[in-house]
Amino acid sequence: MLSDSEAKELLSFLHLDTRADVRGQATEYILGLTGTRDGCRYLQTQPGFLKALITLTADSSIAIVKDCYHALINLSADETLHETLIKEADILPMLFRNLLDPEYVFADRICTILTNLTRHERTCREVFRVMQEQDVGLAKVVEIFCIEGFNKKALLHYLGPLLSNLTQLPESRHFLLDKERCVVQRLLPFTQYEGSVTRRGGVVGTLRNCCFDYMYHEWLLSDAVDILPFLLLPLAGPEELSEEENEGLPVDLQYLPEDKTREEDPDIRKMLIETLLLLTATKVGRQIMKEKNVYPIMREFHKWEKEPQVIASCEKLVQVLIGDEPEAGMENLMEVEIPQDVEQQLKDLDTKEQEQVEKETLLLLRQEAEKEVVEQPNMQNPEGLER
Amino acid sequence: MASPTQGEDSDDGMDEFMEKFKTHKYKNAFNESNWEEEFDKVPMFMKTAPEDIDPVKHPDLACLQSIIHDDERPPEEQAKSLKDEGNEYFKEKNYTKAIVSYTAGLKKNCSDSDLSAILYTNRAAAHFHLGNLRSALNDSISARKVKPCHLKAIIRGAQCCMELRNYAAALQWCDEGLKLLPTDKKLLELRSTADKRRRAAERDARKSKAKEKKKQTERGTLLAAIKERGIRLLQPKQPQHRGSDSEEDGSDDGTTAAMAELYLDGLDSQEATGAQVYLDEQGALHWPVLFLYPEHRQTDFVSAFCENSSFIDHLAVMFGEELPPWDTERKYHPQHLQVFFEDHETQHLYEVDVGTSLLKILQLPCCCVQAGTPSFIVLVKGSPFCEQYFSNKKVRLLLLKPLC
Repeated sequence: MLSDSEAKELLSFLHLDTRADVRGQATEYILGLTGTRDGCRYLQTQPGFLKALITLTADSSIAIVKDCYHALINLSADETLHETLIKEADILPMLFRNLLDPEYVFADRICTILTNLTRHERTCREVFRVMQEQDVGLAKVVEIFCIEGFNKKALLHYLGPLLSNLTQLPESRHFLLDKERCVVQRLLPFTQYEGSVTRRGGVVGTLRNCCFDYMYHEWLLSDAVDILPFLLLPLAGPEELSEEENEGLPVDLQYLPEDKTREEDPDIRKMLIETLLLLTATKVGRQIMKEKNVYPIMREFHKWEKEPQVIASCEKLVQVLIGDEPEAGMENLMEVEIPQDVEQQLKDLDTKEQEQVEKETLLLLRQEAEKEVVEQPNMQNPEGLER
Repeated sequence: MASPTQGEDSDDGMDEFMEKFKTHKYKNAFNESNWEEEFDKVPMFMKTAPEDIDPVKHPDLACLQSIIHDDERPPEEQAKSLKDEGNEYFKEKNYTKAIVSYTAGLKKNCSDSDLSAILYTNRAAAHFHLGNLRSALNDSISARKVKPCHLKAIIRGAQCCMELRNYAAALQWCDEGLKLLPTDKKLLELRSTADKRRRAAERDARKSKAKEKKKQTERGTLLAAIKERGIRLLQPKQPQHRGSDSEEDGSDDGTTAAMAELYLDGLDSQEATGAQVYLDEQGALHWPVLFLYPEHRQTDFVSAFCENSSFIDHLAVMFGEELPPWDTERKYHPQHLQVFFEDHETQHLYEVDVGTSLLKILQLPCCCVQAGTPSFIVLVKGSPFCEQYFSNKKVRLLLLKPLC
């Protein structure tokens, strides 16, 4: 890469008071480095450059600021850079300070960086710790996420995946699921947010993660939170159900209009079903879901769904809903001890099923390709949505 | 008091004073007959305060009051006393009086914003308990203007919105409160209830919309079925259009107009049950039909006459086993009956072949259904009444037999 003297020289150009064009070119060069893996690895050894980038986000030239953020986004996508970014370059205070500023133009880029940084558990934990220390707190993040138009210049949709990443930590789930406060309840309406698939996906991912803690299931399904309708609405369609079936449904699902559409992203649909499946882990949960008439919704959904992966999940859910109660001692599906040989059998079955599903998926894809459907590539999706 | 004479002199003075009473009556003594009443008037011995303090009747009480509410004192003190007074009334559930006190307190315009906020909030509570929701809400808003973080005002505001069924606003109030104190149980509960009711209200709206839609489609299908059969519906409420109606086929004037007319209880008889023509699952229409018996001024109402049934089917049931009590001459046997349809425009009577189905009769061009209920006149063949009846009408004894 660069020699020591070259590096020193370059660093000297990266000051706020250097001539604008020089500054600009130097920043561009760094940005170029971040575009390659080797470049990133090199920069990992040069925290000075990282610090400079962070400082230059306050630059008066918008073009330079954009380049800085672009570089930081690239760097944050590489996990080997995380520790350096957080410890030596101390990026977090700047990020949080600006995130909370309702006038900050580059808030969306900050969300992207934070999402990248929280992808893996170790750094995630660090980010969360600093968040709480700096008095930013999860509460604040949820608050600005839920306020429509908090920042007029930024959409803040990527706070969704950020929350989803953060909830891999039990301490953050614990905060979101605080029974003494109104936190998770504020996120629920966003499962239907039409304006952004990122935001929606982030919220659904967050809810799914939260449902891993089965101690909260009964509370989540109770009136205090009432999570069920918000998970079912994106899966419910315009099909007319009988009056009897309607009256048994949760209020929000009754008498849906003819123009009701289902969630269009199959990954989100799958996550929703997985969340519902998680909620069937306890006996109480199963009971409530049977009482609330979830089955007709899933029945109609099954008729409509085309993606094999999602169909498979749906079938699993339906099996639990209409199946018999497991025998005594096995009521909490998450606590059941599976003997080794059975575990192996299940693993084999799973693999077989997965192969079958993949076959079907391939078939579908082939058919689609034959139809010559041109698909739009997904926009720069920061890693971390799939958690 | 300083007097030149001490000791015995004052005693003497006392003795003298006491001596007086042996001869003079104490001027301000209670009247023997109504001393209890008088007793009650003394502020110290009153059991309950009077509703209105009339300075003439209760001069002492009025005096005391004016001391408490002395205008000489600083406004903050006055306002505070008024607040306390209002609170007392509030405790007694005398909300109207409480409001008066709070209002007076607010009028003092004191600079203590905490006190003003409390006065507004308390007045809001009093209004709330009286059911004056708008006033209560306004006072809550005023309280917040003076002191934005006054939690009680926020709670009251949320409660008002709930009662006014403005759940979106209630939620907003709750959220603002929760920003200040995220763990407040009352606010959390209110928020949860507001959200629940809001969602229930949305469901109710969807439900009625769906029902309305269903109704409309059913109406549409019904009208289409009627039109398809070539049956004409008459709209008696708009006489000026009558002429054009009889020329037209069906009711092209728009489904709602015709359907509105189908709802009319335009039946002359007392048996109007609001019954309406309907389409059954096999696609047959069932009409409410009126049978008129002018001879005896009687009527029979068949609520659902299937269009495929014939007149004799019904007549056989109505007159077959037992003759009606009004048939004094015992002559209304089914085989002797004649059925007629009266065209109200031309005033012509058309005889109906009782073996024909209702549908076929209704489809005939001279037939119009009025007020959604076909009506038919029933007479006994060859009876004297019959002849008399015919002489009054322009009878066109055309036997209504449809062409096959």
